[in-house]
Amino acid sequence: MDFDFSPILDNWRFLVQGLLITIELSVATIVAATLVGIALGLGRVYGPGWLRVPLTFYVDSMRAIPVLVVLVWTFFAFPLVTGVTLPPFWAALAALTLHISAFVSEILRAGLNSIRPGQVRAARALGMSGAQIVRKILFPQAVVRMLPAYGSLLSVTIKDTAIASVIAVPELMRQSETIAAQNYAPIEVFTTAMLAYFLILFPVTRAVEAFYRRVAHLGRS
Amino acid sequence: MESTVTGRKNGDQPPVVQYDGVVKRFGSLTVLNGVSARVNKGEVVCLIGPSGSGKSTLLRCTNALEIADGGRVVFEGQPLPKTEAELRHVRRRMGMVFQNFELFPHMTALENVAVGPITILGADPAEARAKAQALLEKVGLGAKGGNHPSALSGGQQQRVAIARALAMDPDVMLFDEPTSALDPETIGEVLNVMKRLAEEGMTMVVVTHEMSFARRVANWILVFDEGRVIEEGPPAQIFDAPTHARTQSFLSHLGWNG
Ligand SMILES: Nc1ncnc2c1ncn2[C@@H]1O[C@H](COP(=O)(O)OP(=O)(O)OP(=O)(O)O)[C@@H](O)[C@H]1O
Ligand SMILES: [Mg+2]
Repeated sequence: MDFDFSPILDNWRFLVQGLLITIELSVATIVAATLVGIALGLGRVYGPGWLRVPLTFYVDSMRAIPVLVVLVWTFFAFPLVTGVTLPPFWAALAALTLHISAFVSEILRAGLNSIRPGQVRAARALGMSGAQIVRKILFPQAVVRMLPAYGSLLSVTIKDTAIASVIAVPELMRQSETIAAQNYAPIEVFTTAMLAYFLILFPVTRAVEAFYRRVAHLGRS
Repeated sequence: MESTVTGRKNGDQPPVVQYDGVVKRFGSLTVLNGVSARVNKGEVVCLIGPSGSGKSTLLRCTNALEIADGGRVVFEGQPLPKTEAELRHVRRRMGMVFQNFELFPHMTALENVAVGPITILGADPAEARAKAQALLEKVGLGAKGGNHPSALSGGQQQRVAIARALAMDPDVMLFDEPTSALDPETIGEVLNVMKRLAEEGMTMVVVTHEMSFARRVANWILVFDEGRVIEEGPPAQIFDAPTHARTQSFLSHLGWNG
């Protein structure tokens, strides 16, 4: 079998555009899902009772529904229900954020609940208020504790952006499919795509791990 | 009764803490079954007694980490308030030191000591840090301010925890078995800090199994058993001539022989 990598060299700009969109979508999703997930997680652990039930329902549903279904629904069904059509990139960002934020909230919740009660007791004994205890004592420790799980979630997020190809977001996977189909070179193109994903993900995972090793002691009470 | 107790330090002045028939239950378990006692200004009162007898619970009822179900705790003449916001103000005037130190692991030693004044009292950060440094020096850790708790020994962590409590300028210090989690080599350094604090006139309530500390430093001993104070008195009386059979058996169980 002969491999011909010339389609990739001929279309490298097109593929790099895709890669840049993959990175953009990943970064935007991570930022949005982290912020939403923190709000969800804090709401679930410390929010009033009436808020916890719907938040828990939301998180459980998002964990039970495939992200592809959420994406397709956001793009095709959401406009019919609301009359608001989202451009593909924004639909992908919204769907991925809905999905990933549920996992962020779960990780944060586990982190908060893993801190031993003595820490709260010590902070209360000083005279801190509930909000001060969360902000100054629990949240910072939970963030440190959630790093390993958060690192895995980052790689899941970056990988999940590939499904945006089904709604024609011109990210790496979509661009690869286009080139592969035009040139009948699926092996070469998709191998290149694989390598590109790996080259983004590997350093990210490693960086989070290395960072965690340096700061782990800050979450160990 | 309290005014007739003779020879008690500052017994003629109003007590700093007074317990009036304090009752505390967890579900069906009655952990404190009517505890009455007082802590005078500048006194070191040691709480001793078997495990599960309610010593920690009484300490936690003092600063309202637990709320008594019956009776009352009076602090500086005022019964403990009811609302959480008011209770926070009372807690600021009581320092507490825990068996497991409970330093905040994400902060340096200096930050641990300064966080109370800065966050709670709104103190000027630079001033709070200067005061924190002075307190670390006082507990013999002036050079360790930049260390995180993970880089401190147990004895050092507990001394930082004492400094953290002192940073709020408390009127009373509550210690819950401050040396029970420590290696024998480091127990002494913590007890020395506590002894110095006592000599400076700090009012202290100390739950401890360190009988020699209680003997040497305490002004008054409360012996707990099954949620009650079964016996109280100056150390000489409790250790040399305990009247209650349970006190005798508790002390001999610890290997105390006068
Ligand atoms: N939050 C709680 N919920 C239920 N039971 C509790 C709680 N806190 C304490 N208890 C129970 O109350 C009893 C007294 O506990 P406490 O910690 O006050 O005893 P202690 O005298 O300090 O004992 P030790 O020497 O072991 O520390 C124990 O039986 C304990 O299991
Ligand atoms: Mg105890």
